[in-house]
Amino acid sequence: MANPAVRNLFQASHIERRHLVLPEPSADGIPQESQEALLKKHRHWALRLAREAIEACLSPRGLKPEDIDYLCCISSTGFMLPGLTAMFIKHLGFRVDCQRTDVVGMGCNAGLNGLNPVASWAVAHPGQNALMVCCEINSALYVYDDTIGTGVVNSLFGDGCAAALIRAEESADGPALQDFHSHIIPEAWGAMRYDWDLSQNKFSFHLDRDVPYVLGVHAETPVNGLLGRHGLKRRDISHWIIHSGGKKVIDAIKYNVGITAHDVRHTVGILRDFGNLGSGSFLFSYKRLLEEDCVHPGDYGVMMTMGPGSTIETALLHW
Amino acid sequence: MEGLNTLRYREDGNAAHVTLVRSHIDMAMVRELTQVCDHLEDESDCKVVVFRGEGGQFCKGIDFKDFRPDQPMDIHGFNKWEKACMRIERLPKATISIIEGTCSGGGAQLALVTDATIAHPSARIQFDEVHLGFLPGMATFRLAKHVGLGHAKRIIMQCPVLSPEEAKDLGLVQTISEDLDAALAQMIEAFGPIHNVAVYLARRLLNESYSVDFENAIGHFLAAQHRAIGQTAFLDTIKRLSKE
Repeated sequence: MANPAVRNLFQASHIERRHLVLPEPSADGIPQESQEALLKKHRHWALRLAREAIEACLSPRGLKPEDIDYLCCISSTGFMLPGLTAMFIKHLGFRVDCQRTDVVGMGCNAGLNGLNPVASWAVAHPGQNALMVCCEINSALYVYDDTIGTGVVNSLFGDGCAAALIRAEESADGPALQDFHSHIIPEAWGAMRYDWDLSQNKFSFHLDRDVPYVLGVHAETPVNGLLGRHGLKRRDISHWIIHSGGKKVIDAIKYNVGITAHDVRHTVGILRDFGNLGSGSFLFSYKRLLEEDCVHPGDYGVMMTMGPGSTIETALLHW
Repeated sequence: MEGLNTLRYREDGNAAHVTLVRSHIDMAMVRELTQVCDHLEDESDCKVVVFRGEGGQFCKGIDFKDFRPDQPMDIHGFNKWEKACMRIERLPKATISIIEGTCSGGGAQLALVTDATIAHPSARIQFDEVHLGFLPGMATFRLAKHVGLGHAKRIIMQCPVLSPEEAKDLGLVQTISEDLDAALAQMIEAFGPIHNVAVYLARRLLNESYSVDFENAIGHFLAAQHRAIGQTAFLDTIKRLSKE
């Protein structure tokens, strides 16, 4: 990297580790990958990571892909037709009569946009198994040109895939998904968007520098809406499961919603250990919360994801 | 506010007055302090909260009648007390304690979490817990930030009874006055037009300043500042001052 400002972005301490699939560096730097190569990379690695994530989700419950009745796949890092659900059915052992939805191009918030209809489907089909898979191969969507704009993006995102099982049943071992509340900020429509980079013939992700502040200003609105409907105050929420959007985004949420460093410990930890994993980030935080074994029956939790639109999505959990 | 037995609560203009009517802190008082915080956050437009005692005393600390020496001890009551202190420390209002007579143990801890303290000459401040065989709560965390580690060690380990003058020299007391009401009026005046969000954020950043590195702190500051400058209080200031 010739540009020292770009190098500084990569050296910032809030991200220590990320998983990426990149070509071997050549003598004159990073070789350019064509859009075609990037799309292939997305397909290949989405399948590989999803196989592991789905296995890790289902096998502890004694389930196999053939037990899944509804499959929802979420990805914004590669466009394909047929979509991920069709590819997973072909390769991973789901039934051919598995019902399915692909949520494509909704960005980092999409996990909750997917969870909302998945939860409704589960309620309409009690005892049946719905599976949501958030699969982002961020190293399949990038442009490298030594500018600050691409530097911010290239130093932030990582590859990762998470799967979650959703069922409507009396004696569930997980929390109840009680409600959702959405909020979109149309005046910040273009703050996060894909552009076509004409010089490199590739999609390029654009991230406005004001994104953290725009999200911060609006963060209270959906939280108040979600909690207000249930007569809850923020102090009633024991667990905050927040998308690891970036350090400034997390700070903006912290100081605008009035939550503590402890509340965002997993959000910060996932950012540190994986970077921003897009739509699946919040499920990584959720897994760490469960691993702490500190959740008590009766506890409330809020899930919160932020992304293009500009969008803030929230969900209320009750254990 | 109704149904309070250990506290009296009244609002007078911009100020909410919380009077400790028991000389010692028991679990009922901890619960009622939490209720008062709920009320202050959810319903009250008051901008200042004043904590004081009654009958020439502030508070003599924890009530040992809540304990059963024949039963195994548990930590949960202490946890509830710390949560109540945390709530008071984070109220989006300016908080003031008025101390006179004995201000010891939990009473001293309570005064420590308020933003400013007014002392009557009769006030005697003591963190006496270590002499009694236990710990002065999270004053073990907070006190050194106020007075420095050396003084904090002396105050917490040797449990001296501090006069108002000593406490003032250490920064634990802001004002000493015979006329507590006049001193309170003056202090409220000094806090000026209290903008809740600015007060809450400024205090939060100050409280966090000893445990955050500069790189993180500046990120926190920018997030907080962006919130502050979006509030009507600041927009009104710009409108007013840009005309001058």
